[in-house]
Amino acid sequence: MRHPTDGTLRRLLDEPDGVADADREHVADCPVCLSGLAAAQQDAAVIDIALSAEFTVDVDAGWHRLADAVAAEGRSPAAPAASGAPGGRWRTRLRNPVLAIVGVVALLGGASVAAAADWLRIFRAEQVAPVTAPRADLVKLPDLSAFGDLEVTAKANVRPVPDAAAAQRATGLSVPRVGRLPRGVTGEPTYRVGGQVSAVFTFSVAKTAQTVTAAGGTPPPPPAGLDGSRFRLSAGPGVAAAWSQGRPAPALIVARVVVPTVHSSGVPFATARDYLLSLPNLPANVASQLRGFSGAGTTLPLFVSAEKLSTSTADVGGVPATVLTSRDRVMAGVVWVSDGVVTAVAGSLSADEVLSVARGLRWGR
Amino acid sequence: MVAGRAERKDGVVVSGPPERQAVRPDLEQVFRATYPRVVTVAARVLGSRDEAEDVAQEVFLTFARSSVPAGEASRWLSVAAAHTALNHLRSGRRRASREEAADGGDTVSPDVADAVVTRDERRRVRAALTRLPRRQAVALVLRHSGLSYAEVAAALDLSPGSVGTTVRRAESALRKELNRHASSD
Repeated sequence: MRHPTDGTLRRLLDEPDGVADADREHVADCPVCLSGLAAAQQDAAVIDIALSAEFTVDVDAGWHRLADAVAAEGRSPAAPAASGAPGGRWRTRLRNPVLAIVGVVALLGGASVAAAADWLRIFRAEQVAPVTAPRADLVKLPDLSAFGDLEVTAKANVRPVPDAAAAQRATGLSVPRVGRLPRGVTGEPTYRVGGQVSAVFTFSVAKTAQTVTAAGGTPPPPPAGLDGSRFRLSAGPGVAAAWSQGRPAPALIVARVVVPTVHSSGVPFATARDYLLSLPNLPANVASQLRGFSGAGTTLPLFVSAEKLSTSTADVGGVPATVLTSRDRVMAGVVWVSDGVVTAVAGSLSADEVLSVARGLRWGR
Repeated sequence: MVAGRAERKDGVVVSGPPERQAVRPDLEQVFRATYPRVVTVAARVLGSRDEAEDVAQEVFLTFARSSVPAGEASRWLSVAAAHTALNHLRSGRRRASREEAADGGDTVSPDVADAVVTRDERRRVRAALTRLPRRQAVALVLRHSGLSYAEVAAALDLSPGSVGTTVRRAESALRKELNRHASSD
């Protein structure tokens, strides 16, 4: 009998059942074929290692990104998405910790208010500040569901609208016009709006203990009154104008969102904040930066991956702004808070270009 | 950009002019079922998660308005991901900084693999991928991404019997590339 082909030997490695019995029997007794099989096995193993790429794929993040891109093309499927954040990979990066931003961190950075029985506003963003940490630490940041039950009471319902006037009517936010588009950005923007997002969070000592224990830590004894205390979180409505030019990641985005606020139903707030900051599963460097915000209850933290982004400060129309630049210089963004609205300008641009757009925004009419 | 409409030429899906169609209703369902595999296929070519996710987005964006039958979606997406990733690799659209990122935290590989195949060798193998006949490169990537011989055969219009031959040739060529460098070092 003739020797089976190299291709048959190769398949024998992966799918022996797909190889004819006669060929299998031949190979088992043939030194030439066995040697060929061993060579094939070695090559396959080395190439498999050389091409290996093991990591976890975030399907939800991928879907949100795709749904946004499809919607930005003009005709929207039912696309859930966070409103207002810059597009593409940035959106993923900035959106993932949205609960943390509006939730845990708002609590952590919030005012030290000992609230009465009524809902009391304990946080309202009046400025933004970056919290810079290695990506590995940011990934470890817990969201609110790690500490209790989060009930979303209103969703953003992000949807496209035909023009700026419609966006303004839908959100009540004034929609700025871009004075001069940066080089390479052309055409008309597409507009999307979202309503107010709100949620009620109920703190659970048991769930917190479970989270901390699962992370290998020992939960400190909780302060009295924290278990079952409730917080009402809200943000939005918002509007985003995107110049996409048919690309998955927009070349330029101008977005505005009514600032996040947190109300408390009554808990010694400083105690709650100190307790959360003392949990061992909050990365130490993040916790210490957040502690620096404490007191006023007005700083909205922007989580920044130290490997990917660098930050600086700038002035936009007399308001302090945070400038984010990707270290590969592919993207930049600038974010500021003014009159209860967060405004962001971002895109595949340089920091100078986004600042120039931000400073040249025309309001009114 | 990948094809708005897939055409078969020489058993390989190639780019056709994009056509504007409505977004298909099964998009989310197909996306959730196939996204991990599509990213994996692209990552095997590119070695970087970020770039692989970009390629997957590109492919799904095209798929979203395509009329590829649902039963062929997974296969179509895998082949499109392999081609698009190879195109990225070949056209040098990768940025140096991204390659650095790929060598950092983006690609996590088993310690054993690191010991056997150095980072430099990985880069050489990926570069050599672009010099292989396209069908060999795609067959290799699909097979190493976990597609069965029957699936690779259907995707590339090959007989299942010749998938082994095609994959073996590709592996042998890449291995030679590694050995050639090793002996010249």
